[in-house]
Amino acid sequence: MRLKNKSSTKTAEARKKRLLSLLEQQGLGIYDHLDKGQFPQFVIPSRSVSNIVYDKKIRQYILGSASAIRSSRNMSQLRSYTQLAWLAFFVNRLVREGKSSTLRDIYYSSQAFSIDFEDQPESDNIIVDLEAVLTSPREEFHIFPEERSSVFGDLTIEYTVPGYEGKRMNLSDHPDGYLIGPSLSSAELVDTSAELVIAIEKGGLFTRFVEEKVHQKFKAIIVDTAGQAPRSTRNLLRRLNSEMGLPVVILADGDVYGEHIAMVIKSGSANAAHLRELTVPDAKWLGVWATDIEKYKLPTIPMTESDIKRIYDLQKDPRYQEGNWKKQLDVFLKLKRKAELEAFSKYGLTNITDKYLPAKLEESKSL
Amino acid sequence: MSKETFSQISPSEFFYRNRDLAGFSNPTRSLYTSVREFVENALDACDQKKILPDIHLSIKAVDPEKADPKHYILTVKDNGPGIDPEHIPLAFGTVLYGSKFGLKQARGMFGLGATMAILYGQITTNKPVTVKSCSDNKTLDEFVMLLDIQKNKPVIQKHTTKEATKTGLSVSIVLEGDYSKAGSKIRDYVYQTSLITPYASITFEDPSGEKFHYARIVKDMPRPPTVIKPHPHGIDVETIRRMISETHYEIPPLDNKMIDKVKKELGLKKNLSNKEIMEKAQKRWSDLSRPVRTIMAAMSFLNVDFEGLQKIRIDDLDIANKTLTYWDFGQSQSHAVELDPESPYYKQLANTVQGDTLLTFLTKRFQRVGPTTAEKFCEFAKFKPERRIGSMTNEELVKLADALQKFEEFLAPDPSCLAPLGEEPLSKGIMKFFNPEFAAVWQRNASAYSGFPFIVEMGIAYGGDIPPNGLKVYRFANRIPLLYDEGSDVVLKIVNETEWARYKIKGDPPLVIVSHICSTRIPYKTVGKENVADRPELERELKNALQYLARKLAVHMSRQGAADMAKKRANLYSKYVPLIAQFATELAGKKKEPNYKQLIRMGSEIEEQV
Repeated sequence: MRLKNKSSTKTAEARKKRLLSLLEQQGLGIYDHLDKGQFPQFVIPSRSVSNIVYDKKIRQYILGSASAIRSSRNMSQLRSYTQLAWLAFFVNRLVREGKSSTLRDIYYSSQAFSIDFEDQPESDNIIVDLEAVLTSPREEFHIFPEERSSVFGDLTIEYTVPGYEGKRMNLSDHPDGYLIGPSLSSAELVDTSAELVIAIEKGGLFTRFVEEKVHQKFKAIIVDTAGQAPRSTRNLLRRLNSEMGLPVVILADGDVYGEHIAMVIKSGSANAAHLRELTVPDAKWLGVWATDIEKYKLPTIPMTESDIKRIYDLQKDPRYQEGNWKKQLDVFLKLKRKAELEAFSKYGLTNITDKYLPAKLEESKSL
Repeated sequence: MSKETFSQISPSEFFYRNRDLAGFSNPTRSLYTSVREFVENALDACDQKKILPDIHLSIKAVDPEKADPKHYILTVKDNGPGIDPEHIPLAFGTVLYGSKFGLKQARGMFGLGATMAILYGQITTNKPVTVKSCSDNKTLDEFVMLLDIQKNKPVIQKHTTKEATKTGLSVSIVLEGDYSKAGSKIRDYVYQTSLITPYASITFEDPSGEKFHYARIVKDMPRPPTVIKPHPHGIDVETIRRMISETHYEIPPLDNKMIDKVKKELGLKKNLSNKEIMEKAQKRWSDLSRPVRTIMAAMSFLNVDFEGLQKIRIDDLDIANKTLTYWDFGQSQSHAVELDPESPYYKQLANTVQGDTLLTFLTKRFQRVGPTTAEKFCEFAKFKPERRIGSMTNEELVKLADALQKFEEFLAPDPSCLAPLGEEPLSKGIMKFFNPEFAAVWQRNASAYSGFPFIVEMGIAYGGDIPPNGLKVYRFANRIPLLYDEGSDVVLKIVNETEWARYKIKGDPPLVIVSHICSTRIPYKTVGKENVADRPELERELKNALQYLARKLAVHMSRQGAADMAKKRANLYSKYVPLIAQFATELAGKKKEPNYKQLIRMGSEIEEQV
């Protein structure tokens, strides 16, 4: 399994070439149809709930075999067909010119080509359609969401964005960390002395970890996921794991959302079932577990109605049917209380880095 | 008879005290009501004589500088038959003098409204009414008069005549009104009246001098309504009582004139004895008129000669007790004579007082009742067919009226008394007024509620000059527009209950519905006569008419929809295909755009896949 993952991994440059070739193929197909007087169409893998299945082999959600046809022959689809063709055209320009864009940008850019999106959700949807058609995440199209998370640690990268090509940078030079943005996402990963990646849910704890020199003490690269990890962050975690061979561990709040943040990094979300290479199947969830709450005598706050509802929802998810994932979910439901990462501060500000983290890393070896 | 006395008030005074009921509650409403009454009278008069109406209405302020409410001169002039000059003072100077008491469809009822307007004008301004009329193409009579409210009679101030060439009537009153508030309603009224009276030409000159002219759209007048007998279902006890008193003969008064008539029919010059008179009468019996036969029959029991007959007065003929009571002037005392039921004259007297048999009464006095139905009814009501209606007690009359309501085998009311506008004039009116993209009209067959026949006519118009402000309903009853109290009207109810989306009508459509109900009695909800009550029979007819028209509209809409769709499709393909070509060319890394022209054409021609 590890071997297969490794072989499918591509460097930034290789991935760019693959994408441009896919786009060209689409373009040629449309061009031929038009020239022959035939109505061109896109085949889009269906993202409806019934077509999302959990693949135990590759340990992530994937799309089933169902797909939808978006045809220019159908008048009601003509508009969205044209929107999709435009997006492919626009992405082609972005990637070739090495420019990046945001979801919001796309919405406005369309207006220069008399492709009128009603609102941003409509253009966002077309972006997901193109992701599905090309099975590539939008970050590869140079389209980024607004949310940003950060990374810090001894990692040398080499930019591929225009104007910085070949320039190298070490990500331990700036204590606030580095934004995981378009240029970092498209950079080649060159070298690292780290032996571990710690993904942490909260910016406050990320700063504490840098201050407490966790990167040195544990030879770690620290990634702030800023809540549910954005795709670019998940992609970076995957690359650190597969390209650099670093194990990934995750620290999140001691509640059902924290548990799921870890799960999404490990095996993806249903929303991105049409995409691969966003998961780190061997990532380990360090905590905070429900059982840690009692074990470490953490101060707690009661769960809300929606917390409890979320537990019931996740209990139906195939990934939560066994092992520690199921066990922790059951204990959360029993406790009906939760503890945040900051709760360790009750025992001193460095308690989490000095006591909890080493203990959990030790514990994780047996997982 | 009771000997108690009541202080009597004249009809004029009654209406004066209750003017709110007739729509004269305030200067705004009064001005509007007055316009209506005069215009409707004018139209009715022309309809009756089959004259294409030419109506001029004008409202002028007496002093334009004053603020409302103020005095206005209201004049309505028509080209109708005019009124015989000898009837004018009574027609316009008394209340309850009218020619509309028969049972047929007319705009106004009883012609009371015009007199009320005159009365209102006189009360508020103390000014007389001016009536100009020509009924013979030769002379125009002009009357200026006031109404004596207590005595209910006209006071003529001036009467002049001059030469004229055309018939017509013009009525002019001065009244207190508020045109600033009533103006929009009056303009609506004139507009809508023209819509439902397309054979009339109507001109309205408002206080500012602006003229609203509605030209005649059709030259054919609808068939005029005929006066008919009542239907048994539409009758109450009081009506039966009135019909009975009109049916049977009274004992004729024994005055000199009558006695001369008797002598003449008997061929007698001088007085004879009672016995001789009776013998003479026997011989000529078959030639005698009915009143004379009655007097002869009475004389046989009174046993008097002509001289004796002059001295008495017959007071009562009590068939039940078989007595005849009379007053003897000579003796100043009352006498009673016993009647011998065996006498042939008894039957004559009894028939006279008791009136027709029930069977005859039913077949003669009601519409569409034949002998068979009448007999079936008698069995149903448990009355003998030969029963004399004059001899019925109060209780029996109530029972009779009740049975008339309940008996279900009477034929439906005769609609010949109705005068619908007709599909063609209605349609022409709608086309002229709204210039719509689509219009349809339908006249339903006659139906009836509670013995009153009615006909529903409806029209629907869509698009064209109609503004897209949502559905607008024009309601008419007996060719009168109904402008007030729209919310509680049965037509509005039906329209609002309709699921318009089913007929492909959405949003605020440019849609007009014209509803016209004709009936001998419109079931108004209130005395204001502005909204029609929801009788089930009426509701059903309205619903059927509306659904029929809405279905026709839906057919039009889907045809229109298909045409719009083809156009939209063509537009879409010529917009998007070149864009797709442009994107594909760059994506494919080509220089020259593909030949996509045929695809645009094909795209426009694809059949809609449903």
